[in-house]
Amino acid sequence: MVKRNKKWLSLGITASMALLLAACGNGGSTNKDNADGGSGDKVELEFWSFWGSGMRRDAVEDIIKDFNKSQDHIEVKYVYQPWGDIWTKSLASIAAGDPPDVIVQDINSVQQRADAKQATNLQEYLDKEDEDISSRFYPQLWDTVMYEDDAYALPFNTDTQVLFYNKDMFEEVGLDPENPPATWDELEEAAHKLDVKKGNNFERIGFYPLWNLGADVWALNADHGTSWFDKDGNVKINTPEKVEALDWVLKQQDYYGRDTINNHEAEFGSGVADPFISGLVGIRAQNINYYTNLLENAPDGFNYGVAPLPEKEEGSGHWSWGGGFVLEAPYGAEHPEESYEFMKYMTSPEVQEKFGLNSFDIMANEEANENLKEHPDLDDKGHMIYDMAHKNLEQTVITPIPLEAPDYTELVNGQLDEAMLGNKSAKEALDAAQKSVEDLVEQHK
Amino acid sequence: MATTSTSKQNKKKRWTKKQKKDAWWGLLFVSPFIIGFLIFMLGPMLFSFIGSFTNYNLTSRMEFIGLANFKRMFTQDELFWKSLYNTAYYVILNVPLTAVGSVLLAVLLNQRMRGISIFRTIFYLPAILSGVAVYVLWMQLLSPTSGLINTVLSWFNIQGPAWLFDPVWTKPALILMKLWSVGGAMLLYLATLQNVPKQLYESAEIDGASSFKRFYHITLPMITPIIFYDVITSTIGAFQIFQEAYVMTDSGKGGPANSLLFYNLHMWNKAFVAFDMGYAMAMSMILFIIVLVLTFVNLKLAPRWVHYS
Repeated sequence: MVKRNKKWLSLGITASMALLLAACGNGGSTNKDNADGGSGDKVELEFWSFWGSGMRRDAVEDIIKDFNKSQDHIEVKYVYQPWGDIWTKSLASIAAGDPPDVIVQDINSVQQRADAKQATNLQEYLDKEDEDISSRFYPQLWDTVMYEDDAYALPFNTDTQVLFYNKDMFEEVGLDPENPPATWDELEEAAHKLDVKKGNNFERIGFYPLWNLGADVWALNADHGTSWFDKDGNVKINTPEKVEALDWVLKQQDYYGRDTINNHEAEFGSGVADPFISGLVGIRAQNINYYTNLLENAPDGFNYGVAPLPEKEEGSGHWSWGGGFVLEAPYGAEHPEESYEFMKYMTSPEVQEKFGLNSFDIMANEEANENLKEHPDLDDKGHMIYDMAHKNLEQTVITPIPLEAPDYTELVNGQLDEAMLGNKSAKEALDAAQKSVEDLVEQHK
Repeated sequence: MATTSTSKQNKKKRWTKKQKKDAWWGLLFVSPFIIGFLIFMLGPMLFSFIGSFTNYNLTSRMEFIGLANFKRMFTQDELFWKSLYNTAYYVILNVPLTAVGSVLLAVLLNQRMRGISIFRTIFYLPAILSGVAVYVLWMQLLSPTSGLINTVLSWFNIQGPAWLFDPVWTKPALILMKLWSVGGAMLLYLATLQNVPKQLYESAEIDGASSFKRFYHITLPMITPIIFYDVITSTIGAFQIFQEAYVMTDSGKGGPANSLLFYNLHMWNKAFVAFDMGYAMAMSMILFIIVLVLTFVNLKLAPRWVHYS
C-alpha cells in the first residue's frame, strides 16, 4: 500500500512539473496563435498604454471600440500596463522578439529607441499616403520622431509650462488680475506683493520659481529657447544667459530662505490640500495639465487665470518647455502595416479632439486643439486652457534626449543642487556641468 | 546530502540498481533548485561577464570592445565614484548598526516577563512590511516640519534637519529608516539566545559574575556564529541597496546633489535610461568582485572571533 502511494505521488509530481514547464515555455505564443488564426482574416493588434483609470481610460476604450467597428480587417485589443512597468516591460519584450503591436511611449526618447532598433521605421507607410501626415502635428513634436530622415513614431499628446495665478489674490493686493506679469522683474515684484509675512515666517509665498518647474526651464527661457544642448547637439550649459537665469533663481531662494522653502515644500499636499488651491501660493509655474487638478479639486468660484511664462527681459521671448507621448510600433511587431493604420487613426483630428475633450490633454494634432478652444461641450475655462496651450506651443521647446549623452541629467542636476545649496556659485556650477557633460559626450563618441 | 555521502562510500563499487534509482530520484527532487540556479543565476552571471566586454545595448548591438567599459568606469565616469562612495558610506554605517541594534533588541526581548510575546511581535512586525508603502510612510515621518521625528525632537528643543532634502542628512535618514526593520535579524538572535545552555549562566552567577560580564563572556561568544552569518548576509544586502533610493528620490534621479545615487541606481540608469547595458554589466562585475573580496576577508577573519562550541 505504502509503496503504491509513493509511486502515485512521484508520478503526480513529475506530471505537474512537466505541465508547469510546458506552461512556462508556451506562455508567450498562445496569444499570437489566436491572433493569426482565431478570428478569420482579422489581424489582432495588442495596444499598450498606461491609461488605467478615469477619463483617459474611458476615452481610449471608446475610441478603440469605434475603430474596431469602423473596419473589419483589424481588431485592437487594449492592454493596460502600469506607469512604472510599461517601458521596462516593452523593452524586455522587444529584446525577446515578442513585443506588443502599438505602445504609448515617451516623446523624448524616440530617437534613442530608433538608434537602438527598438522602434519600427514608419517612413515607407508615410510615403504611401496622399496626405502629408506630418502636417497634422506641431512642427517641434514632429522633429522628435525623426531619426536619420525617417519617422519612427506619431506624436499623440503634449504639454507646455505656463503660469497659473490666483485672480482674487491679485485683486486683494492691488495687482491687475487681467494683466499678469510678463517679465521676470514684473513676476518678482508681483510675488513680493503677494507674500504674507508674520514675524519671521512666511504664511503665504507669492511665487517661487522652482516649485513644479526645474531650473532647466528658466535657463531655457532665458537663453532664447536653447536647452542644455543646441540644435546641432553642442553642449550649451554655461552660456551667460543661463548663468544669469540660475543667479535669478538663487536670488529668489535667498529672499525666502532655504529653510522656509524646504518646510513649505514638505507640507505641500495634493487634492484640496494643494498649495495653490489652499492659498499658500499666489502664482505657480506649471504644466498646463494642472488644469485637470483644478477642475477636480478647486472649490466653485475659485478664480484663476493662465499666462505664458514671463520673458527674462522684454523681447527675449516667452520660451517654454514641453513634453508628451507618441504612438510607436516596437521593433519586431508582427503587423507593422496594421499598427500604422491604427496609429494614423489615433492621430486624426476627430479622434484627437475626442480624446482631448474627455481627458483635457493638450493634443499633438494642431487642428484638434484649435477645435477644442471653441468646442461647445467645454466651458469658458476649458476654452481658455486650449487657447493658451495652442498659443504657447508656438514658443514651446521639446528637449529630446541627446543620443551622445543619454544620461546627462544627473550630472547637470547634481551641479544645480550644489549651486542651490550654496556650495558653488551659479557660474562655477554651470562651468563644472558643462565640462562633465562634454566628457560624457566624449565617452559616447 | 544523503545521496552524495552514499555515492562517496561506493565510489569504487558498482552501484546497485536501487542505489542508481535513488540517485535519480534525489536528482529529480533537487532539480527545481538546480534548474532555477542554472537559468536564473549562473546563466545571467555568465552572460553579464561576457557582456561586460561588449557595447551591448539590449536590442541591436553587441560588439566586443575589450576593457573599454572598465577603463571608462575608472577614469571618466565621475558618477561611478560618487555612487561607490555613497554605497560604501551606507554599508559601513548600516551593517554594524543593524547588527548591534538587533543583538541588543534580542537580548531585551529575551527577558522573562508578562506580555513579552506582544513586544516581540511588535518589534518583528516591520520586518514583514516592506517595499514602497514603508518608504512612503517614512517620507512622511521624515518631513522637516510636520514629520513625527522632527516633532518629537522639537519637544527637546532640537531643531531637526531637513532629512531627505539636505544632502548631508539623506544617507543618515535612510540608515535610520533601515534600523526600524531589524526585527528579522532579531528573531534569529532570539532563537539562538534561547539555545544558550542555562548551566553556563548559573555557574557564572555562583561565581559572582555581574550581568554585564555574563553577557560579554557567555552570551556574546555563544551567538557569534549567528552574528557572523548576519554580518555577511547584511553586507551583501547593503551593497545591493536600490529600491529605497529609487522610491524616495524624485523619479529615481539620485536625490539632492546625487547624495542618494547608490551603485545599483547608477547601474540601473546606465542600463535602462542610457541603454548602455554592456557598461552596466561591467559595473555589476566590479560590484561582484568587491562583495566577493569582502566576504572572503570576513571568512578569513572569522576564526579569530567566531566561537563554535
